[in-house]
Amino acid sequence: MQKSLLFITLLLVVALIAACGGQQASTQPTTAPAATTVPSQPAEADCPKPEVLCVGLVTDVGEVDDKSFNQSAWEGVKRAERELGAIVNYVETKDAKDYAANIGLFIEKGYDVIVTVGFALGEATIEAAKAHPEVKFIGVDQFQAEVVPNVAGLIFAEDKAGFLAGVLAAEMSKSNKIAAVLGTNLVPPVVAFKEGFENGAKYVKPDIQVISTYHPGGLDTAFTDPKWGADQAKLAIDQGADVIFGAGGKTGNGALIETAANKGVYCIGVDTDQWETLPEARPCLISSAMKLITPGVFDLITKAKEGNFPAGNYVGEVGLAPFHDFDAQIPAEVKAKIAEIDKGLRDGSISTGYKP
Amino acid sequence: MRITGSIARPAAARIPWLTIGVWGALAILVLIAYMRAPQATTAVLTSTIRQSTPIILGALAGIMCERSGVINIGIEGMMLISAFLGFLFNVWTGDLFLATLGALLVGAAVGAFHALMSITLKVDQIIAGTVINILAIGTTGYFYQQGLTTRGKLTPVSIPFLADIPIIGPVFFSNPPITYASLILIVVVHVLLFRTAWGLRTRAVGEHPAAADTVGIAVNRVRYINVIIGGMLAGLAGAFLTLESVGSFERNMTNGRGFVSLAVMIFGKWTPFGAWGGSLLFGFANALQSQIQFLKNQLPSWLAWIGDLPPQFIGMLPYVLTIAVLAGFVGRARPPAAIGKVYEKE
Repeated sequence: MQKSLLFITLLLVVALIAACGGQQASTQPTTAPAATTVPSQPAEADCPKPEVLCVGLVTDVGEVDDKSFNQSAWEGVKRAERELGAIVNYVETKDAKDYAANIGLFIEKGYDVIVTVGFALGEATIEAAKAHPEVKFIGVDQFQAEVVPNVAGLIFAEDKAGFLAGVLAAEMSKSNKIAAVLGTNLVPPVVAFKEGFENGAKYVKPDIQVISTYHPGGLDTAFTDPKWGADQAKLAIDQGADVIFGAGGKTGNGALIETAANKGVYCIGVDTDQWETLPEARPCLISSAMKLITPGVFDLITKAKEGNFPAGNYVGEVGLAPFHDFDAQIPAEVKAKIAEIDKGLRDGSISTGYKP
Repeated sequence: MRITGSIARPAAARIPWLTIGVWGALAILVLIAYMRAPQATTAVLTSTIRQSTPIILGALAGIMCERSGVINIGIEGMMLISAFLGFLFNVWTGDLFLATLGALLVGAAVGAFHALMSITLKVDQIIAGTVINILAIGTTGYFYQQGLTTRGKLTPVSIPFLADIPIIGPVFFSNPPITYASLILIVVVHVLLFRTAWGLRTRAVGEHPAAADTVGIAVNRVRYINVIIGGMLAGLAGAFLTLESVGSFERNMTNGRGFVSLAVMIFGKWTPFGAWGGSLLFGFANALQSQIQFLKNQLPSWLAWIGDLPPQFIGMLPYVLTIAVLAGFVGRARPPAAIGKVYEKE
């Protein structure tokens, strides 16, 4: 009897702790720094007025200072606060099922522009946009299959970012063998990164050998398997690859950290400047193939304010991150070549060879 | 007392021709591949060892538990919790040795928890293991914060002279510490189970606890100790993930490797060397599928179709191989007789 009681208590405790793992949603937006009580300044309460521009940001699951997508987007919004005098605020999403509710918080308060960060918020954004045609929505990394008049999907030409990374990798390789460790081919941007990387490398060194591998798992594991990424990086380094491009969330990060543990091998990160986001990779990280989210978000907010909001897909800028500590090791002619190819990609005289 | 069946040493008289044949054929294939592409072959074999390490450690954990009659499907959770806390110890202390020790202790603690539930509290052992798995995902996911960084991970140590032998040198004698430990532990667990009094008692408790009890073996004590040792082995597998392989932590980073360990344990018929064979096969299939992707553009024309297969299909390879081998080669796998049954004195 006593034993079964003890067991039940134990089980309850276990259930309680396990349940905590689910994380409660906090749907209370933190008060905006701009919303002070100075009477001459417009406050959050003035948002319904047409002359006051209010911009709200809903993060994907995670914090606004995640040194990644959320933070980059929020910096774009903050720039709008400084330069356009907008009232800004954000909600941090704690659970994927709260997307719609968090967007709703801003709609209720009469916000004019709502930025939703991440592919995962795509559906909730479209739904909210159709129900509230008076609000403008900016979906970061959300490809728009059909044009909704008040939604702009901020997307990026990943193939161009990958192309530049490929050029840098090929130029820095001494063994004439480079590798890419990738998330899954089920996600089109990853395929674009890969094709761009391979074609970029071959553009400057036609005989270079590029070995690349996609994670064989499904969407649930492909971006969160650093062990697999590390294994692939080692496998590639062991057969002579000396520049590793890690493109696939945490899986790619595993490849970058593994590369850092090997001497004489460089690595290239993805999406944001990974020098900031992944300090463990600094021993090998020469650059990152970046999507420039901050200026993209700011441009779209500006367009919304000026009344020429571009519905549908809006292609943001991409580019290579700074070389940081490796700046001295990268020859000036390589830098010049990258700048020249970057220019060619922009004016269309160079094609990445990637067809979606 | 007369001891029969698999409590006695495995029948040594029969020569396992099939096993010898399979491994011999593999060895010849490796030699041919080595002559054509030495660097890539060595890389694939090194990767095989590396990818099989957490699997064999998990399988050894399972063997220790199940040989004493306690089912352990909580290996995945034990690995995940130890991986997480080992990572945190590394962040706090910056000392990889202390962090590994910490992961071992955490593994022992979770093992003790499993023993408490399934031996003392007589919970259904499948449920007890499931509790550990769910608890591990929940707690580690809740307490993990982005942005914790470590100062490094365990790096390979080359053994002088031995590391210079072609193929064998880089594959076996140029590894990081936990990989060496796993290779040694295979032998240690084998000797422990089949050559010592403790092993005999463990197997007796797992096969026929009532008989073991009548000759004076403290059944539950033996089980407790074995489950705790199993927990430590799973803890070492966790330490391998965060301290040696990746150097960082990620939510649910075990990604089912604990369950693969269980399959490998059954594949090896609850013996350390059999399980090692299984985990090597698994590691090899994994390394092979990456290598096929690497060589996609260099395959000879009659093999080009392999390069065009989607990676998910090739990724299925290890699992298909496991099923095929389980179904065809191993024959009936017989678990310890008293597995999953709580022992109560009459």
